[in-house]
Amino acid sequence: MGFQTNRTTIYIAAAIVLIVIIAAAVYIATRQAPETVETETGTAAETTPATKTEAEAVELKPLTGNVREDIVNIARFLSANGVTEAKYRVHGSGDPNSIMRVYGIVEAAARLNKILEDEGVNFKIVIEDIKFSANADEPAKVFQQSFPLKQEADIIAVSYRWISTFAKEGYLLDITDYANAYMGTELEDYYDSLWSSVTYKGRIYALPQDTEARPLYILKPVMECLGYDAWDIAKKIDSGEYTWKDVMRIAKEAVDNGCSEWGVIHRKGSAHPDLVQFYYAFGGEFTGSNPDKLYLNLEALYKWLAVEYALARNGLTPENMLEWDWAKQIHPTIVSAKTAFDIGGTWYWTEWQTKKYYTDPQTGEQRGLTPEEVKERFAYSLFPAGEPGKKPVTLSQPFVWMISANAGKLNPKYDDLKEAYHRIAFLLILKANDPDLVAIHSIVSAHIPIREKAAQLMDDQQFVNKLAQGNLDMFISDEARQAFVDIAKKTAHPINIEFLKSVTYMLEYTHIPPLHPSYQPLAEFFKDAVDFVLKGQMTPEEATNYVVQKIQADPELAETIEIVGSIPTGWEISP
Amino acid sequence: MGENPLEEVVGGSISRRLKIVIALALLLAGSPIILTYGLLILSSFSTNMVTDPLLTDFQPTLDNWIMFLRGQITYATGGLERNVIEMTLVTLTVAVGVALTATLVSLLAAYSISRMEFRGRGVFTAGLIMLHAFPGVALIIGVYMIFRIIGDILGVLGEEFYAIAYIILARAALEVPMAIWLFKGFFDKIPWELEWSALVDGASRVRVWWSILVPLVKPGIAAVLIFTFLAGWEEFIYFYVFLKPFGIDSLPTFIEEIVAAAENYQLTIIAAAGTFYLLPTIVFFILTQKLLLEAYSGGLKG
Repeated sequence: MGFQTNRTTIYIAAAIVLIVIIAAAVYIATRQAPETVETETGTAAETTPATKTEAEAVELKPLTGNVREDIVNIARFLSANGVTEAKYRVHGSGDPNSIMRVYGIVEAAARLNKILEDEGVNFKIVIEDIKFSANADEPAKVFQQSFPLKQEADIIAVSYRWISTFAKEGYLLDITDYANAYMGTELEDYYDSLWSSVTYKGRIYALPQDTEARPLYILKPVMECLGYDAWDIAKKIDSGEYTWKDVMRIAKEAVDNGCSEWGVIHRKGSAHPDLVQFYYAFGGEFTGSNPDKLYLNLEALYKWLAVEYALARNGLTPENMLEWDWAKQIHPTIVSAKTAFDIGGTWYWTEWQTKKYYTDPQTGEQRGLTPEEVKERFAYSLFPAGEPGKKPVTLSQPFVWMISANAGKLNPKYDDLKEAYHRIAFLLILKANDPDLVAIHSIVSAHIPIREKAAQLMDDQQFVNKLAQGNLDMFISDEARQAFVDIAKKTAHPINIEFLKSVTYMLEYTHIPPLHPSYQPLAEFFKDAVDFVLKGQMTPEEATNYVVQKIQADPELAETIEIVGSIPTGWEISP
Repeated sequence: MGENPLEEVVGGSISRRLKIVIALALLLAGSPIILTYGLLILSSFSTNMVTDPLLTDFQPTLDNWIMFLRGQITYATGGLERNVIEMTLVTLTVAVGVALTATLVSLLAAYSISRMEFRGRGVFTAGLIMLHAFPGVALIIGVYMIFRIIGDILGVLGEEFYAIAYIILARAALEVPMAIWLFKGFFDKIPWELEWSALVDGASRVRVWWSILVPLVKPGIAAVLIFTFLAGWEEFIYFYVFLKPFGIDSLPTFIEEIVAAAENYQLTIIAAAGTFYLLPTIVFFILTQKLLLEAYSGGLKG
């Protein structure tokens, strides 16, 4: 019996081993088969046979700065190597009206394909997977997770602040050489201030996609109640005549006279990096002689916290401002003119129209404001200078197009032809920034254009009228055109376009927070410090020291952040 | 045990007044949770978020549900529609996969532990309790490394089906220890004679297990299926780590994404999404609360 059992066991074990070996062999054979085919001719659907002579005859020439010439050369090169189709994936994010952050690439592919069709080149670019997330950081987080699995999108549109993290890890394509080839042509009219947002350690890792400014909104009804002209105040702020002390004085007058419930409403916890404008307004900088270090000016930090402290102690800003709810507290307070000033963003202008923040006093209905109502209600200026002698400022945190270091990896013969695939990815982001596409995105999402030619188009009445009527014949891609018809009809209003044009000058005053890995943790300390002083849990001096202690407690931050200056003695601010 | 466990504890029938007092105390203790979920559900049927317990904010509408099921998460223009049906199917596939895998594996394992002598049985049984103590998130680094290693060996690291299958197996593995303990309790209560007589009649161990023992623990199987299904349905971190990189969303990762971007979304539609996600949990608990409570408190009658 025992012998019988043992023999049976051996037979079963042998059978299992045999099955496993056969299965493994079949699996390996089926996996290798397509690769063998691809090496010769590419996959049947995507490639055509090519002889070695043809492939050698078409060389991949250096980029010329002319899109037509370059895409034709790249496509002919790939075609000669047996590849007739290249696939890319894109992931963008932002507010619902910012879908150009994915459709821009779809349209760019259509435009490049049109060139190839006109030139009779048998090659096509396909954007096979587009994804758009409302959470602005979502594409970056997914990119971070999926890169090691080789599943990342080829092109992502996210905040510039991810560049340092990804570039350090080697996740991004260094496009410096490509960009340099186009500096004299397509990239010539980009606003200079934006290049620092895409440059990390002297190399370019992205192209700007859009930008914004953060105006100080001045509530006209409140100023009328006080007998002031809101636009006059705006002009005085822009010229530097009015500083934060003046703004606080007017805000206090408004509250004391019952013209408004609050004096200054500002961004909340999740948007706390915007408050760093105070630091810049008091002359603070984050850069210095050593490019590897981040510099923290204690005097500017202290003065920023002193203003926040004074605002809350005088009842001008809520003590729990950083915890307010966007939809139930912040925006309804602003659009109902229950505050004298608001530190916001350019995108607020259309957000107040598309979201139901306003409760109509006549009907009790919750609705968005009309463009006319927004215009009647708000004047705007730069962020006021901290004190006399300092300049007004604004802040930009541009969205950018980044390309994966493995862009085009899903295509045939990637290892041999990746340079060509990378160049196509670059041309895609370049074309996605065509002036008309940038102008459309700026108008429908209330962002500031990143190049002068787009700003000029916004002055073109014919272009604007077409957009407002939903006549989008500038799109080649049906998919992109359909996606924008409704949005364009609802947002391409002359008042909105006039607003955007009128705030573009703010880019001259803009500051872009540094692309330094230590900046994010530092910004978190700033948020805590602001919260402490608003709630009265710390004095400005204590909160400044808190930030210093947090830096010193972290060996890496202590090493990379250089603290300069000191807390000023005898300096105080009050309305 | 008597009909009412509480009656035995207090040594006889409890007065009606005491019952009312206990019910009120429980209601009071549970009121924050009931209120929170109640307001969430009401908000999903309202034009505004209902945050006032007096319901002054409530303005009825079905728009939130219609828009959510269409994959539109904002009243504002723009955005891309999201495929809620696909997300639901992905979540459902994993939940069902976890339920079936964990139930089958634990049913077999519990039988072995209950009925068979093998070396290390005691240590293995004790180890199961320890395994149950580990939350999924604490194991995530190890689980991720195994995902990479197996995926590399099989050459399927970039395949979506592998990620889904892996989530099912990894999540089921976390449920198996508890399920084994539950099943072991059931098997221990079944008289050995039942099985013995079948073995004497010539039936194999597998046949005995399948034809005699499994039918006797059917209520236990139902209970384990339910709680493992809910564990799979409520999973978040494994979906986030293993499936999100493929650009595939499940309901929990999608809800996390839209809550994180609440600034861009309509909160009442997010409330509809949250309510939709809660539905299976609520329905299962209402329908099977007696079964689950009995399963947790000492086994079921066969």
